[in-house]
Amino acid sequence: MSIFEYNGSALVAMVGKNCFAIASDRRFGVQLQTIATDFQRIYKIHEKLFIGLSGLATDTQTLHQRLMFRHKLYELREDRDMKPETFASLVSAMLYEKRLVTSICSLTVFGPYLCQPVIAGLGDDDKPFICTMDSIGAKELAKDFVVSGTASESLYGACEAMYKPDMGPEELFETISQALLSSVDRDCLSGWGGHVYVVTPTEVTERILKGRMD
Amino acid sequence: MGDSQYSFSLTTFSPSGKLVQIEHALTAVGSGQTSLGIKASNGVVIATEKKLPSILVDEASVQKIQTLTPNIGVVYSGMGPDSRVLVRKSRKSAEQYYRLYKESIPVTQLVRETAAVMQEFTQSGGVRPFGVSLLVAGFDDKGPQLYQVDPSGSYFSWKASAMGKNVSNAKTFLEKRYTEEMELDDAVHTAILTLKEGFEGQISSKNIEIGIIGTDKVFRQVILTPTEIDDYLQEVE
Amino acid sequence: MENGSCNETFNVFLALHRPLSIHSNRSTCLFLNMDGVILGADTRATEGPIVADKNCEKIHYMAPNIYCCGAGTAADTEAVTDMVSSQLKLHRYHTGRESRVVTSLTLLKSHLFSYQGHVSAALVLGGVDVTGPHLHTIYPHGSTDTLPYATMGSGSLAAMAMFESKYREGMSKDEGIKLVAEAILSGVFNDLGSGSNVDICVITKGNTEYLRNHLSPNPRTYPQKGYSFSKKTEVLLTKITPLREIVQVIEGGEAMEE
Repeated sequence: MSIFEYNGSALVAMVGKNCFAIASDRRFGVQLQTIATDFQRIYKIHEKLFIGLSGLATDTQTLHQRLMFRHKLYELREDRDMKPETFASLVSAMLYEKRLVTSICSLTVFGPYLCQPVIAGLGDDDKPFICTMDSIGAKELAKDFVVSGTASESLYGACEAMYKPDMGPEELFETISQALLSSVDRDCLSGWGGHVYVVTPTEVTERILKGRMD
Repeated sequence: MGDSQYSFSLTTFSPSGKLVQIEHALTAVGSGQTSLGIKASNGVVIATEKKLPSILVDEASVQKIQTLTPNIGVVYSGMGPDSRVLVRKSRKSAEQYYRLYKESIPVTQLVRETAAVMQEFTQSGGVRPFGVSLLVAGFDDKGPQLYQVDPSGSYFSWKASAMGKNVSNAKTFLEKRYTEEMELDDAVHTAILTLKEGFEGQISSKNIEIGIIGTDKVFRQVILTPTEIDDYLQEVE
Repeated sequence: MENGSCNETFNVFLALHRPLSIHSNRSTCLFLNMDGVILGADTRATEGPIVADKNCEKIHYMAPNIYCCGAGTAADTEAVTDMVSSQLKLHRYHTGRESRVVTSLTLLKSHLFSYQGHVSAALVLGGVDVTGPHLHTIYPHGSTDTLPYATMGSGSLAAMAMFESKYREGMSKDEGIKLVAEAILSGVFNDLGSGSNVDICVITKGNTEYLRNHLSPNPRTYPQKGYSFSKKTEVLLTKITPLREIVQVIEGGEAMEE
């Protein structure tokens, strides 16, 4: 078993017309044992920028803390919100820092943060931006949707079939929710409902989805 | 550092609360060649006189205005060698910013970084303050910007500023000529006229340097032909 | 699971198997302005057997006159080319001259050599400088080659087959582009690690043309219509947060009377 499958996760982000949606499952497990069913994998960076972190939970939480720290410093220093593209580059740079064995204060760090981020945000002129990267920061930009986590293979299939360009926020919500729920049903390690954010230029809608509990 | 008996900071407070080393650095700037900058509505111009110690020096080998990033340029008054250290450090920190964010550094951030280096040299052991003041001209998302950075590490945003030998005359002149609506072309004109104030000898394309940045956000050196300079100088009336 | 899983994670890195093929149409005559380098690449990124990106960019910018194709681990090729491109830029500021291809070559190989092959970037570097057109390959351990035509990545054999049979000296620009595109296409169709579109970059003295998606031989064969869901998703909780309203300041209008 890969360490990326230790806790189980499913993450997906989709682009709509002047809006985007980002969704995750809610399970936190240790291999096949479920520990919690209200786990948070998507974090808000600022009002129009979200990051989802799949993979090893301990690393996702540490990485999230470091990202919040770097973003807050940026906000104070530059007196502006970070653009999604800029934030993606920051995440990529922070992941690549740990590409090889490094040492910090006589501690040896063996390898990268074991997580695969999904970043979604509204940029200038409310243009939606989504991207994902691997655990060492290779960015992958997409116009339509990005996925990550243990359910990523089924998510690729579901999104490829269900997605269409230029959806409005309501339709986008239905599509991303159905893609997520149908995908996690074919993955033992993720599920127990879903957490969906739909972001438009005027509001953020956060919804908790009901899902199977097995 | 730290093991020599001279490794403490040379910049120490005098009993009256002054940092004499910094004041001496400012004196070095004040006796340097005149430089000035003007922020126009659609761009920024920086200019300086380029007096060479002898006619035997190849004037093409001296460049006082330099590019820090494609959209930011700088000119100094004071000690040339000191300015080169700052230019090198500034370019490097601009490049570091770009590599982290894949976005070019905003003018304010680069000025802050450069000023931080200058401040550090007023407080560290075994070093002396920089004998230069810088005028940084840039154009980014926040529009045209002009900053002056001093040896103490303090920096201000200016509509128009001057430094070096003829500061007070030049500043008075700029105060008279400056208007908010001024466009880049007028600003170049005003810059040349200001340099002419207190210029010893005849202005030519060889003994002044001009750098501009406009709405295209590309900083470039302007090499004026003798006729263009004449045109600018004659427009006075 | 401590040690075993740690090693396993290294297999999960997004690796780009790509046929990076390059070709220089260096003619033997001395008219340098006829000379140039053509770089080509497919646009598929893979993660194991999964296609991670159907249209990625593998031709990286090094300097205005130098570009570099990367095969291997995506993060490494991206990071190493970005780092060297930034060093080249500072070097250009210092010297006030155009960067040379050998400079980039040396910077890249010394970085890769110092990491003993752990930075898995296999590169094809091409450009035109004051000394003429150049084409090099760089292996992850830091060894390099200088060649008239070269290929790298998983599709390199397929691409090399085309070069070996069709390359000749003194090809024109159009002939060169055609051959490079053909070589990439043979990777796209015969190698599973390569796919999607063809990117081309033509560098000649004083001019660089980046032809992104020069060919798109693999369009979607099924419609992207999506679905309309008749039954609504069951929602347990909804929270709507309105965002700050953007205040627009409208300037101008009638001036107030004194």
